[in-house]
Amino acid sequence: MDTKLKIKEVLVDLLKVKPEELKDDLSLQDSIGVDSTEMVESVIALEKAFGVKLSPKEITKSSNINDIEKVILSKTS
Amino acid sequence: MDKVAVTGIGIVSPSGIGKRQFWANIKSGRSFVKEITRFDSSKYPSRIAGQIDDLEKYSHISERLMKKIDTFSHMALIASELALQDAGIDIKNEDPNLVGIFLGNAIGGWLYAETELRDLYIEGREGVSPYMASAWFPAAPQGQVSIYYGIKGFSKTVVADRASSSMALGYARKVLAKNKLNMILAGGMEAPVTPYALLCCNTYGALSKNNSDPKSAYRPFDQNRSGCVIGEGSGVVVMESIERAKSRKANILALISGYATTCDGVDRINCDSKGLELSRAIKEALSDAKASPSDIDYISLDGLAVDLWDNSEVEAIRNVFGKNAESIPASCPKSMFGNLLGASGAVDLVTTILAMENNLVPPTINLDVPAKQGLNYIGKEAREHKINKALVISRGRGGINAVLVVEKA
Repeated sequence: MDTKLKIKEVLVDLLKVKPEELKDDLSLQDSIGVDSTEMVESVIALEKAFGVKLSPKEITKSSNINDIEKVILSKTS
Repeated sequence: MDKVAVTGIGIVSPSGIGKRQFWANIKSGRSFVKEITRFDSSKYPSRIAGQIDDLEKYSHISERLMKKIDTFSHMALIASELALQDAGIDIKNEDPNLVGIFLGNAIGGWLYAETELRDLYIEGREGVSPYMASAWFPAAPQGQVSIYYGIKGFSKTVVADRASSSMALGYARKVLAKNKLNMILAGGMEAPVTPYALLCCNTYGALSKNNSDPKSAYRPFDQNRSGCVIGEGSGVVVMESIERAKSRKANILALISGYATTCDGVDRINCDSKGLELSRAIKEALSDAKASPSDIDYISLDGLAVDLWDNSEVEAIRNVFGKNAESIPASCPKSMFGNLLGASGAVDLVTTILAMENNLVPPTINLDVPAKQGLNYIGKEAREHKINKALVISRGRGGINAVLVVEKA
């Protein structure tokens, strides 16, 4: 599956937001108003989904979907 | 101290969600106590309760928020929404710094906590929701209501067993009387129909074990009483100064004019057998309301349906009202839907206000033969009666007494 699509699926399923609310180039804070606990959850869920180790400093409230994709691709490729 | 206006009512209870449905069921004396179906309760000595099954139907809470909160916060959010609607208040038009939230709760959000604790022991720490810490604790509903409406004023959660929400209401009145806030959402919420909370309530020893006949199990003041039945829900009212209510042409439903609280200080669990400190709380609440015992024309009883508690409540009332206690209608409507513990006082206040509005004293179902004479008990059927001033009595474990005086506007 396309990495970006999978990231969105993980976040939609976890945070119970609508897929269209997540924007490729808009930060998680600005698009869905993500809170700090949701960020902790999101990092753990993405680690599980992609089998990679992620630091909370690599994926933050200011990250958008494009940023998250870059971080994950750098660890999986 | 100044009287404070109640201008909106929000009620979430086994007898109905919203004041119209609630009152229709209360006045008809229908019982909503039944066997617990939320989980397997077959091994519990008491396995009956007032359970709410259709909470989701009344909620605008998003799925995203729902996964972060316990049922008791959900109930408080719905009750707050109903109260604001009833008061005709759009919170967006209020100064958020001058709106407060005063809620009472006794046991916290155990449905959420139990699930997560089970996962902790089965899956380890990574199996626990990060929302556990903020979902469980008794002040969680206050926080959720605050976030949902952007309320930022002085707020508090009171934990004082079954007297929690009456204390929260009394505290709210005190704060409003000092002109510290423009309005307050005040009341309480409780969600004890969970495996662990039910176990704790069973251990307390005050629950009826009449599982074979749930509807007649909760019999306050009856000679065949066998303890109370728990219930879940929330009662929230909008409180504001009379001047503000009048200036915005609000419908003033009632006035809270007196409040007092005392402690028995005799035992970890039980109350004082003579109800002496409850008497003092009643006297102080009347004095606070500048009312005399002869002004009171309805008494909303605590009614735990345990010999010591019921008998001492009767003694305390007799001590204040003397022989006149035999003529003032007194009832315990929670016999129909269960004792909402930390939310019971708020729900009793709501019931009393509706009773005033409808000139009808709600019944104490299952009260066939009083175990102790001395009060004008209103039993199985509601009775027409004009109520101008009422007393709402709440008592908590270990002898916490909280008494409110409510007046017709």
